[in-house]
Amino acid sequence: MSNDSNVADPIDDLVDNDQPQASSFDWRSITFQGLWKNNPALVQLLGLCPLLAVTNSVTNALGLGLATLLVLVVSNLTVSLVKNWVTKEIRISVFIMIIASFVTIVQLLMNAYTYELYLSLGIFIPLIVTNCAIIGRAEAFASKNPPKEAALDGLMMGLGFAIVLVFLGAIREVLGQGTLFDGAHLLLGDWAKALKIEVFKVDQAFLLAILPPGAFIGMGFIIAGKNYIDNKIAQRQASSKPKKSVTRARVTHVN
Amino acid sequence: MSLLTNMFVSSPHGNLGLTTNQMMRIVAYATLPGLAAQIYFFGWGSLIQAILCISTALIAEAVVLSLREKPIRRTLSDGSAMLTGLLLALSIPPLAPWWIAVIGTVFAIIVVKQLYGGMGFNLFNPAMAGYVVLLISFPVAMTNWLPPTELLQHPMAFGDAFLAVFTGFTYDGYNLTQLKMSVDGITMATPLDHFKTEQILNYTTTEILNSPLYGEYGGTGWLEVNLAFLLGGLALLKLGIIRWHIPVAVIGSLGVCALLGITIAPDQTYPLSFSLLSGATMFAAFFIATDPVSASTTNQGRIVYGCFIGVMIYIIRIWGGYPDGIAFAVLLANMCVPLIDHYTKPVTYGHKRRREAKS
Amino acid sequence: MQSELTLIEQVKLGKIWEFPGGINPPERKSLSNQTEIGNFTTHTLYIPIQQHIGVAGSLLVTKGESVLKGQALTSPGEGLSLPVHAPTSGVISDIIDHVDAHPSGKTVLTIVLEADGKDLWVNKNPLLNWQELDRDTVVKHIQAAGVSGLGGASFPTYVKLSPHKNIDLLILNGVECEPYITADDVLMRYHANEIVQGAQIIQHLVAAKLCVIAIEDNKTEAIASIEKALADVADIELRVVPTKYPSGGEKQLVELITGLQVPSGGIPADIGIVMQNVGTSFAVKRATIDGEALVSRVVTVTGERVKNPQNLWVPLGTPIKTLLQNVGYSPEKTPRLIMGGPMMGFNIVDDMMPVVKSTNCILAPSNFHLPERGVEQNCIRCGQCADACPAELLPQQLQWFAKADEHEKLKEYDLFDCIECGACAYVCPSQIPLVQYYRIAKSDIRQAEEEKLKAEKAKRRFEVRQERLERDKQARLLRHKESAEKRKKALAQDGSAKDKIAAALARAKAKKATSENTDDLAASDTPQDKVAAAIARAKAKKLKSSKVSVDNSADSTPEASLETSLKATDTAPTTNPNKDRVAAAVARAKAKKLAKEEQEKVKNDAELKNETDHKGHADAADKPVSEAQVDKTLTAAEERKAKVAAAVAKAKAKKQKAAADEPNQEPTLDFVDKASAKISNEDKKRSADDERKAKVAAAVAKAKAKAKKQATESENSTNTSDKETPDLNVADDLSQTPEQIRKDKVAAAIAKAKAKKNANNDTDNGSNNS
Repeated sequence: MSNDSNVADPIDDLVDNDQPQASSFDWRSITFQGLWKNNPALVQLLGLCPLLAVTNSVTNALGLGLATLLVLVVSNLTVSLVKNWVTKEIRISVFIMIIASFVTIVQLLMNAYTYELYLSLGIFIPLIVTNCAIIGRAEAFASKNPPKEAALDGLMMGLGFAIVLVFLGAIREVLGQGTLFDGAHLLLGDWAKALKIEVFKVDQAFLLAILPPGAFIGMGFIIAGKNYIDNKIAQRQASSKPKKSVTRARVTHVN
Repeated sequence: MSLLTNMFVSSPHGNLGLTTNQMMRIVAYATLPGLAAQIYFFGWGSLIQAILCISTALIAEAVVLSLREKPIRRTLSDGSAMLTGLLLALSIPPLAPWWIAVIGTVFAIIVVKQLYGGMGFNLFNPAMAGYVVLLISFPVAMTNWLPPTELLQHPMAFGDAFLAVFTGFTYDGYNLTQLKMSVDGITMATPLDHFKTEQILNYTTTEILNSPLYGEYGGTGWLEVNLAFLLGGLALLKLGIIRWHIPVAVIGSLGVCALLGITIAPDQTYPLSFSLLSGATMFAAFFIATDPVSASTTNQGRIVYGCFIGVMIYIIRIWGGYPDGIAFAVLLANMCVPLIDHYTKPVTYGHKRRREAKS
Repeated sequence: MQSELTLIEQVKLGKIWEFPGGINPPERKSLSNQTEIGNFTTHTLYIPIQQHIGVAGSLLVTKGESVLKGQALTSPGEGLSLPVHAPTSGVISDIIDHVDAHPSGKTVLTIVLEADGKDLWVNKNPLLNWQELDRDTVVKHIQAAGVSGLGGASFPTYVKLSPHKNIDLLILNGVECEPYITADDVLMRYHANEIVQGAQIIQHLVAAKLCVIAIEDNKTEAIASIEKALADVADIELRVVPTKYPSGGEKQLVELITGLQVPSGGIPADIGIVMQNVGTSFAVKRATIDGEALVSRVVTVTGERVKNPQNLWVPLGTPIKTLLQNVGYSPEKTPRLIMGGPMMGFNIVDDMMPVVKSTNCILAPSNFHLPERGVEQNCIRCGQCADACPAELLPQQLQWFAKADEHEKLKEYDLFDCIECGACAYVCPSQIPLVQYYRIAKSDIRQAEEEKLKAEKAKRRFEVRQERLERDKQARLLRHKESAEKRKKALAQDGSAKDKIAAALARAKAKKATSENTDDLAASDTPQDKVAAAIARAKAKKLKSSKVSVDNSADSTPEASLETSLKATDTAPTTNPNKDRVAAAVARAKAKKLAKEEQEKVKNDAELKNETDHKGHADAADKPVSEAQVDKTLTAAEERKAKVAAAVAKAKAKKQKAAADEPNQEPTLDFVDKASAKISNEDKKRSADDERKAKVAAAVAKAKAKAKKQATESENSTNTSDKETPDLNVADDLSQTPEQIRKDKVAAAIAKAKAKKNANNDTDNGSNNS
């Protein structure tokens, strides 16, 4: 009979992933996700421990941000390269090993070339291993995507994280010390001494900004600001789209 | 058939008549004796701070209310912002620079009160949270207490105080550090502060108390201020604005701890009257801890809450890093309030096991 | 610590306990308790037929009827019900929907009575010897008098008077704690003896060992009056309780007098206590000893807007408007009238509302003395409400949860123990209408629970229905099996059937041999002929396969046999392959078109046939086989044509299905095969019904086509005839028009295609895994 079930072949096996499964290299989407829409610090709220601890100055924030970025890119790339040989049961251990190796490399590099910064950041460099953003991206994206996308995702996520770090660091440093880029030479070399900007001079700095509560409060305001911007964008989009009038057909209780 | 009223109002149709606005105002009036005492003993600074804080509080609240699109005039007239400002003003040093008052009040109103939802929704005591922010951010400015006027080397008039607050110098050009000196040339802080520093230097209690900073029962000037606040607090009790549970619990537990301390180590702890009548103890017991929004709501819970505050005040005073631990004690207790409320729920009528009627 | 005194002994000690909370609003009782109780009469009365908790009674009177005072106007219904009586003599002028004494102002069926001014009583039948009478009789008498709780709840008194539990204590509630109301006060002052008599009646009925009359200490005259009335009475005592609102609440008064608490969700009878209002006691006395039904009550008409506030004997059904007109009521700018007291009364929205059994006060306050609530502000958690609550609830928490719709939390915090006294809202500094929130929350919770109950019932019904359908299906399958077994057995045993089969086979062979070279159907080019050929072909196959099917297992279907027969004919030599191919193409196109139109008809026919032949479905399945057995007229060419046409029809069927997906695609035969197999596989899950339908349709179509073929072949004067074996349905078919004949043939082809498709189902099962 013609009323039989459809002849369409069974639906393609669904690949369940939260990221755009780009058959083509969808760099735009990955970039947007990493920098704004799925920003690891502001939206996913991952890696808050280092974020709140080292953002008391721009230099520290920049140093840790760059370290995290580096680790993210290479670990994502590596995970993506080995993903076909890693069995499901041991994947987390393997990922952590990969990440730890790269973090060790970064730590040794910092120890050698940016020693004061290394001392200043202290334990938060090795703690990058436990940064949920890195293991999170490895698990959610790199282990399911080809290497090019994984690397780009690592780069964008790391960049998003670093940007937030630097932004918060700037706010805290300005409010708490009145300067910007104080100590940048520790990271960037002696020429960076000239980078230090003194926004205003106070004999009594707003210590709260340097202390942890200031980090939480600053973080809260930044997230609020991002949500505000998102809302505004959404409102503008909603108002610009023409309203489609839908005529519905009544199928019940038609008298 | 005529429709008489289009207000489907529910019973009861009457009200006691004491509104929230009136309650806030009455509390503010009750602080006046304390404020007067503080002005008398420590100069006009407190009055200037009060005016500054209250106006900042009202402006800050108005700004946030307009952002939240709530009725500004009606909400401002409930007096809670005004009261927060006043309480904060009474807590900070009289000659603290003007931006201290502004930053503290703005933080208290905007972050602690409005961002949590406005009056009735704040988890923490706004005045105390603002005070703590100031204390940890500007420790130097916040501990610039003046000795009582009778001990001042350079007595000050109202104009001097005004200038000091806004410019940092008095009319004669003295700055705060110089003003802090007493007639003996000793830079003084509050009695509690002084006591603590001397203790660290391993003086015994009796030796410390010899200083002119201390009167018969407590710090000079501070004793009278505390008594004035006690008076105001008792008035509030009589009027039924606050209930006895919290003040009695705070003072009682603090007294018990002090007694214990004196019994165990009399030479290293505060004497009893000093514990109870110095610093901001009475002020805290009757005006800070009794803030209804952030305190426990059940009567049993209130007693627990008050005891917790009293114990914490004592612990912080003796072993903590700050001379007066009231603000921290209150904030810690605020955090415990939901738990306290949960466990002190009274047993409803009809749920008790059948009591045998007692004769 | 077990006390050795019983409840009664405890109470007799005279101690007054306390309950927590409570408030002391200004009493304002002196407005209305300075005068004696006046009498009020009016001309038009509006008597609602339901003035009590429970079920309304059924009308006894009609419009235009004359009634006497105290005559029953309704009779009690099933369950909790009370009659209403005429408050005065007169004529029923109307029975309409009139506004009810309810906060919402909803309407209720109301009897409108025009008084004739004579105020004649109906024949009273008092029960003067109530002490000797059976308790049930007295209780029924009180029910018939329409007595309900006059304290405000309006619970039918007869239910309370026949408790099924052991009662120790009767409490008479003369507390009247609400401000402004003085109805019970003046009743006690001036009718103390009657109240005491009523108390004795009630005490006798519930068999209470002790009766206590409780009065607040602000009613000194009432206390004196009751004391005097109790002078010579045994087992009734007076208790004076301190003035506090809400001491007069049932649960609170129980706690005051006895120190015990009524268990949550229970009634005082659970702990051996019955409580009645003094007004109810008075009404009981009047009903029993005087034989008077409840037709009027004391109402306090008071308030600052009333010039002459007083207590009045008001006939039930008096409109508020009339009452107020006679006491000098002058409304404010926004008129405000309250039925009941200021704490628990409700706003009157329509002043034609009548006085009913539960009305104890009409209040017209001034805004100055009883100001309206201010604007609601946020709760500041001051806890005044918790201090005031007599039930030891936490109103501030209940308010948070009610605003957030947290039903579980509300139940955890005992929302349903709230007696809605209003003390909490009275003291709230933030002017929050707490009781309103609780009422809304309570009704929300009740509604949610009702819906949950309904949903559970619906789910249960659904599950039972599913089980029933499943059972029916299993029973059907079982019957299929059994009948198939029977069939097999019958065939196996019945030798004559086997002979018939053999003879038919022989005939078919002969026919094939003779008609191989004649009858070039391809040339005739009529679709009908082609279809007929297809049908004939199918019959031949059926015949062949019937032998096979008999040998096969019992599960063999006609479709399977069709398939095997098709396969058999595939190997037969074809005479005109080219012609066949052309014919096939033409037939394909034509069949496609026709089939599309006819498929629905066939389906409907099949369904009809299916329903009528429900019992004989097994027989219907047999039909193709038996018909195939007797068909002898097929040639090889015809068989080929039939096969082609069948495939074509199958393609059509496939196309139908694929119409939605691939409307433009012309399916090839291969595709058709594969798709049809696929379809078959998907159809595997279909119920036996469809298969049966298909079989039946095939059978019917086959029969019809056979008849047509017979007719056409006889016209074409082919040598073959199968008149020896008349078809069962020939008569019907011969009467049809050529058009119908054609349609039937096409339908048969379709059905056959369908059958073949289902046959493919079995064979292609392994090869296709779609």
